Amino acid sequence: MIAPDWFREDRLPHIYCTGCGNGTIINCTLAAVEEMGWKREETVFVSGIGCSSRAPGYILTDSLHTTHGRALAFATGVKMARPDLHVVVFTGDGDLAAIGGNHFIHACRRNVDMTVVCMNNHIYGMTGGQGSPTTPPGAISSTTPYGATEPAFDLAELAVAAGANYVARWTSYHVKELTKAILTGMQTPGLAFIEARTQCPTNYGRHNKLRSVSAMIEHLRSHAILIQKHDRLVAEGKPVPEGSFTVGEFVRRNRPAMGVQR
Amino acid sequence: MKLVIDESRCKGCNLCVLVCPYSIFREGTQLNSRGIVTPVLDRPERCTNCRLQALYGRMLCGVCHMICPDQAISWVEEKPFEPHKVEVEF
Repeated sequence: MIAPDWFREDRLPHIYCTGCGNGTIINCTLAAVEEMGWKREETVFVSGIGCSSRAPGYILTDSLHTTHGRALAFATGVKMARPDLHVVVFTGDGDLAAIGGNHFIHACRRNVDMTVVCMNNHIYGMTGGQGSPTTPPGAISSTTPYGATEPAFDLAELAVAAGANYVARWTSYHVKELTKAILTGMQTPGLAFIEARTQCPTNYGRHNKLRSVSAMIEHLRSHAILIQKHDRLVAEGKPVPEGSFTVGEFVRRNRPAMGVQR
Repeated sequence: MKLVIDESRCKGCNLCVLVCPYSIFREGTQLNSRGIVTPVLDRPERCTNCRLQALYGRMLCGVCHMICPDQAISWVEEKPFEPHKVEVEF
């Protein structure tokens, strides 16, 4: 068990389905928090509604389980009122991209000093697998039974365009890289956005011929290409593999941040 | 150090089977008391973290520990004078 001081062991085993990647993301985040050496009483975890947002309930710190999509709004308030606290936000893709999309782009624009970990499982997992703004085209969900026809949101690119100071994307398979990315995000002043693509075998994989956990992880692993490789392929005019998504560090910059203690 | 799977937490997703570079975890066949098929350990003394963690003073490999969504994998200190096997791989 990673970071035993940070887990509420009386609450474990957690409520997530067998093979859900959210537990892995909690492990990675807590490993990064432990490496940062933050104290428990100076750290706040904020979350909205959804599977991913149950995560702070398993962590032994002060936390806010807020309304749907408004995790970033609450976290901005926490950071403005108490700039000495370290704020980490857990959200899901439905929480962050769909209902909280406006809060997300404005938190990136304001560059509030916090770390946002988005567990993107391509679906609204908790409510029964409805299609979300990040459902890839062609994927079957309970609201897109003939395959999603809309293009999906690229959350990392959205955060780069909106002005976040650190943006990275990894999957729940790349645990070491993800931990390192979350650690770098916590060290960077300003908003750090880390998108972690996770597997959801229960509600996403079951409808998309990825029923087992290993099939879903293998799908994530084989469709992830490093951003450097993607850029090289584009520069050389070679075709980018179908259905792949870029992983890696998208941006690290020094825009003026809000809520940083001087 | 020895590798243990916490049977009260494991949900049997077999992600550790997928990631272990030494193939220490094997898919189990027996249901446990909670009705879950947990992975079984195949010669866990081969695990690099079991052998060398004390020598290096830090976590080595540890991918199973990190990827386990249920926080079920951990290393515990052996009791004094507890017999343990040594596996040498060539």
